[in-house]
Amino acid sequence: MSHSHHTKTLPDQLAAPAFVAGWRSRALVIGAIFSAVAVVLGFLSGDGWSHFLRAWLLGLMITFGFSVGGMALLMVQYLSGGKWGLLVRRPLEAMSRTLPIPFLYFLPVAIFGVNFKKLYLWAQYPDAASAAKQHLITNEQAHAIIFKHGMLNPTTFWVTSLFCFAVWFLYSYLLNSWSLKRDADPAPNVPYWQTKFENISGFGVVVYAILLTACAILWVMSLDPTWYSTVYGLQFLVGQGYGVLALVILTLIGLSNAEPIKTIFRVTEQHDLGKLCFAFTMLNMYLAFASFLIIWSGNSPEEIPWYLDRIRGNWGVIATLDVIFHWLIPFSLLLSRDLKRIKSRLVVVCCIMIFARCWDMWWLIEPNFADARRNLHFSVGMLEYLAVPTALIAFWMAYYFTQLTKRPLVATNDPHLAEILEPEHAHA
Amino acid sequence: MPIVEGTYGLLAEFDTPTQLVRAAENAYSAGYRRMDCYTPYPVEEAAEAIGFHKNEVSLVCLIGGLLGVAAMFGLETWISLWAYPLNIAGRPYYSWPAFVVPAYEWTILFAGLSAAFGMLALNGLPQVYHPLFNAANFRNGASTDKFFLCLEATDPKFEPAETRSFLETLAPLSVVEVEY
Repeated sequence: MSHSHHTKTLPDQLAAPAFVAGWRSRALVIGAIFSAVAVVLGFLSGDGWSHFLRAWLLGLMITFGFSVGGMALLMVQYLSGGKWGLLVRRPLEAMSRTLPIPFLYFLPVAIFGVNFKKLYLWAQYPDAASAAKQHLITNEQAHAIIFKHGMLNPTTFWVTSLFCFAVWFLYSYLLNSWSLKRDADPAPNVPYWQTKFENISGFGVVVYAILLTACAILWVMSLDPTWYSTVYGLQFLVGQGYGVLALVILTLIGLSNAEPIKTIFRVTEQHDLGKLCFAFTMLNMYLAFASFLIIWSGNSPEEIPWYLDRIRGNWGVIATLDVIFHWLIPFSLLLSRDLKRIKSRLVVVCCIMIFARCWDMWWLIEPNFADARRNLHFSVGMLEYLAVPTALIAFWMAYYFTQLTKRPLVATNDPHLAEILEPEHAHA
Repeated sequence: MPIVEGTYGLLAEFDTPTQLVRAAENAYSAGYRRMDCYTPYPVEEAAEAIGFHKNEVSLVCLIGGLLGVAAMFGLETWISLWAYPLNIAGRPYYSWPAFVVPAYEWTILFAGLSAAFGMLALNGLPQVYHPLFNAANFRNGASTDKFFLCLEATDPKFEPAETRSFLETLAPLSVVEVEY
């Protein structure tokens, strides 16, 4: 029998192992190579950098999901408790501290997409009525742009987005600085800190859900001004949880080759995190399919075109693959108890899950544009969806790894720490 | 059913799950195979220690779920295409999106029932009589705060005196001989 019967002791050295610096330089190299590829493709594609910007938006949504979603999961684990929460706390804090990166990524989307009118139809045709008369846009689009003008205009876009970032920067600052203070607290006032974190997190989760809905609507949904769906924000929320869980498991498994994670990462908690992934896989599919089923049943001419844009003209293949990557593969694999307990296999599932997030985002973004809707076709610009997000995610990862090395990887002022050091069978 | 008499086994009582798991591992490596652990709550390592690595409940559950989804999806397809085709808002007869929800419900229903009844079928419950309840300390402790290891007399290695002294080396609270 391999497992120990004795309570383990926490290693003296809690800092991130040295190989994290190696991960970072690898991420930087990948980022640099794919940036160069993206720029070359931008010149070759001859579409006025349109696809470059669309792919940039995809990269923004994925890295934004890791940062803000990581912060949301951090708050959720303060609220739910549980030993898995202690394990993931420092990686999630590191994710929440990467918020400056999505903010930098957001600026080009806002400046070029809105102010230079490269992405959003409502920014391009503020005078929608005359644009419709000249047949630049359809009557439905004109109607939607006029009707939604209060929300879909450059000022609201900037103000809302900056407000969301400001609130999240504040939350990221508070959660991170309190966490260090908690560890440094000479008197272990555990109930005091638990209450403090529960209070900020309970409110924070609600604020996060509302602000995320606003951002998802402004940044992605408004690419098609005619589209509306009340579950849209929630789908992004669950998608962020899905991606963050996959990333945090990858991080822990990567770090578990060395101390201190080697000591505290037990199979029980790995199994728990795998089960959470399974739950998110199910919830994600549930929301996506429920919204599709309702709109399919209603078959109303106001709603159904959004799906037809994403099914007809070979987009159906992409949608089917989306279901396979997003749900069928992770769901079938995560059914297995053994798989969740074997690191090398769980890693594969987590990689598929992160890839599926990008695939899904591509399917959400690209068919919004007139040249692509109901018409999936190859163009050089399409390759930007490979190059730009890879570069953006790689640079984000490099910053994330830097943040991981900034703090001890284990939060110490927490009663769960003693429990996690016990042998696995001490508690059921 | 013939009346069985004699010794059912030797029951060792422990205070902590750690001691139980260690004892079970020692008994397994000493060559005992017919044994069982009894704990107030699931202790997965105890099952592992006595060489019980897998059970078939998950397989039964999976088969149940697959049967459920196939049955409901098949039923809906058969009704809509052959038995009672209806034109509903001009949709095709084979409108699979509408079939998914009932098929999903049946998957969960069949999987849940298969897991519950499969578990009962495979673990031999309900059982009206078990010899271990003849031991007073078992009756009091097994469902509250004590952890038990029983080496059964049907094990070829079982020798009342030897087995008892072996168990006593594992520092139990007590070793009790249990009658059928």
